[in-house]
Amino acid sequence: MPTRWFLVGAVLVVVAFGVFLGSALTPSHSDGQAGGTDSEGPASVANPLAGRITKVVGTDVPAARFGEEAAAREDFGENLAGEKISDILPISARRFEKPVREYKAYAHGWIERTIEDAKGLGGALAGGSRAAARRAWEKAWGDYMHLGADYGLFGELEEELDGTASGPKASPSNPEFVGFRRLEWGLWTGRPLPSLLPYDRRLVAGLKRLRAAVPGVEIDALDYATRGHEIVEDAQRDLLNGMDVPWSHQGVLGTAAAVASAEEVFKTLKPLLSGRENTEPEVEYWLLRLHGLFASLRHDGRYPSTTQMGTAERERMNGYVAGALGALQMVPSTLETEPYKAPPSIGGRG
Amino acid sequence: MKPIDRRQFLGRSAAVLGAGAVGLGVGAEVASGSSSAAPSAEEAAERVLADELAARNGFEGLHQAGILTPRQSNAAFVALDAIAPRQNELIEALKELSYRAAALTQGGDVAEIEIDDPPPDSGLLGSYNAPDGLTVTIAFGSTLFDHRYGLAAARPPGLTAMPAFAKDGLKPDRCHGDVMVSICADHRDTVVHTMRELLRSTAGVLTPRWRVDGFQSAKRGPTPRSSTRNLFGFRDGTSNPDPTDAKLMDQLVWVQPAAGEPRWTAGGTYQVVRTIRMHVEFWDRVGMFEQTNMVGRDRVTGAPLGGTHEFEDPRYDLDPHGKRIPLSAHIRLANPRTPETEDQRILRRPYNYDRGLDEAGNLDQGLLFVAFNQDIPRQFETVQKRLEEEEMADYITPVGGGYYFAPRAPAGSGDWVGSGMFA
Repeated sequence: MPTRWFLVGAVLVVVAFGVFLGSALTPSHSDGQAGGTDSEGPASVANPLAGRITKVVGTDVPAARFGEEAAAREDFGENLAGEKISDILPISARRFEKPVREYKAYAHGWIERTIEDAKGLGGALAGGSRAAARRAWEKAWGDYMHLGADYGLFGELEEELDGTASGPKASPSNPEFVGFRRLEWGLWTGRPLPSLLPYDRRLVAGLKRLRAAVPGVEIDALDYATRGHEIVEDAQRDLLNGMDVPWSHQGVLGTAAAVASAEEVFKTLKPLLSGRENTEPEVEYWLLRLHGLFASLRHDGRYPSTTQMGTAERERMNGYVAGALGALQMVPSTLETEPYKAPPSIGGRG
Repeated sequence: MKPIDRRQFLGRSAAVLGAGAVGLGVGAEVASGSSSAAPSAEEAAERVLADELAARNGFEGLHQAGILTPRQSNAAFVALDAIAPRQNELIEALKELSYRAAALTQGGDVAEIEIDDPPPDSGLLGSYNAPDGLTVTIAFGSTLFDHRYGLAAARPPGLTAMPAFAKDGLKPDRCHGDVMVSICADHRDTVVHTMRELLRSTAGVLTPRWRVDGFQSAKRGPTPRSSTRNLFGFRDGTSNPDPTDAKLMDQLVWVQPAAGEPRWTAGGTYQVVRTIRMHVEFWDRVGMFEQTNMVGRDRVTGAPLGGTHEFEDPRYDLDPHGKRIPLSAHIRLANPRTPETEDQRILRRPYNYDRGLDEAGNLDQGLLFVAFNQDIPRQFETVQKRLEEEEMADYITPVGGGYYFAPRAPAGSGDWVGSGMFA
């Protein structure tokens, strides 16, 4: 995305130029290998370095062009000595502990809500109104989708809750066809409501097991930083395409929940992102747009199904999601925890 | 004419074309139904222009063309289902398919018939169908050997329905099929024309089930041998076995029937086709360092990580713990380069595909994985199961495809692809 690179480049120019004006060319982290500057000649009174600084050590780059050149090279992932670099200092992995802890607290809250929703769905199924039961399913599933960043951490339990182990269009006789997906299928294909009650009870039990498992689960730093955009990618791939909700077509509801959980990841990481690159404002810009879009689509507390959306709404949804992903993708690289190391040569040469 | 008459007529004229074309030089006049006059100036000019379309692959012999043949730039793969109620109708359609394919691959004048009849060729390529490097490879799926046509005993022993692997998202209407026709040529219009003519010649008996079109990336060097890139931007096919090594092909590609197995399978090979969606937008959001670690190669040079040129040995023996090339890297799992995995290698002949957008506005692009091997469980499935562990699996979704058996080529002008299974 040229705009973003331009912004990053511009920031680096300003930073580097500021350093240059300071006094000697104190190397910033990424030009460490390039070193300081060659010095020669006597010091002047007004500026002790004037006339002494001619070029950056180890390069032919004139000192006066240091900032500009460094920024231009960094855009191509190189320092002034032509070596491959990452453009910012790594962050200690320990600093991710607090964000992960905060996210777990957030997840706990949504699991509590989903458990209550699932119980409510049981009541609606017993009550005999399909419309009420569908609405209760939407509430429960929409709240469950707020967990977002927990995907992939709970293995079989997760598959049981989602009902995804049985494939996208499972047969009712498949024993793995359970969870939210089984209930969705039953509610939208006219199955008798009482026949769905056992699946709801099993869902409640599964959610309670999830609640107990969350505190003990480990998420490593880079993995957590990557989850923000991966949640939204999954929503784009599986929900906006209708693959994961083939009967209710509630992809917009699911995407709104996914965006909310990505936003939570982003919020917990903001203290770490602050002052690094230009990631924060870009993410916030796109989240704001998505908020506006979701608000305009929500009527009476419900979202339209993906099949009900008009072309203009669909285009905005697809475009804003893609825009948000373009901004969120910078979060993991902004929060690198290890410096880049080139692979060793084959056979240990060089 | 009644439809059945027309079919018979086409069958005859196609057989004449096919037979006449074999062994003739480039651009030679080919005997055809009613067009035997000397070419007009306009036709002659068309021939001259057709020189860049002159490459020709034989259709007859021991092995079918389009397997060891260097990849042409354009391709289309279509799976057909047999819907005829009787075996003899199936036989006639397979003959039609084979004879028409033979004629088109060899090139020749477009036959003209009576002015009030629809022309027997769409004329898409003018009055002369240049061969244009065309190959038509015909293969059969396991379903053709079910109860319908009395072919159960002829089923190649290694031919099954393609299973769903752990991370597949197969769509039933994009999988399997009784007949797989692989059409490859130097130019796109030749592929389009061939598809149209072949479907027309077998309509009513073989009906299309699914189709995917493919293209090959242009050769962009730095050397003529350099592998082209797939849609993740990485060079693909670096460690493919050498198709000019006949001994190796006998070990990896061509079926050698054991005692008690159907003899007609000799000289054939098992074809695996997989439509693998590549989530290119997702891939484009991955850092360069992570991309190269997932693949195991440098993106620009194609060299194994830590190496300097594409065809360098990655020397896994010096990197047993994956410090240089991660153990989960694609190249390491696909071909571990150990003595034990040598006979698991497959001959790949892939194409890129690009077919529009999905509902979320993302590009529907990917790899049309095509591979030939002697023994699917020993080779393709073993490799595929290893690849379930690769990190790259998160960025791709196999959505379709199937297993097929591509038998030997027609032995001579009267023979046709698949005749052996009815013998």
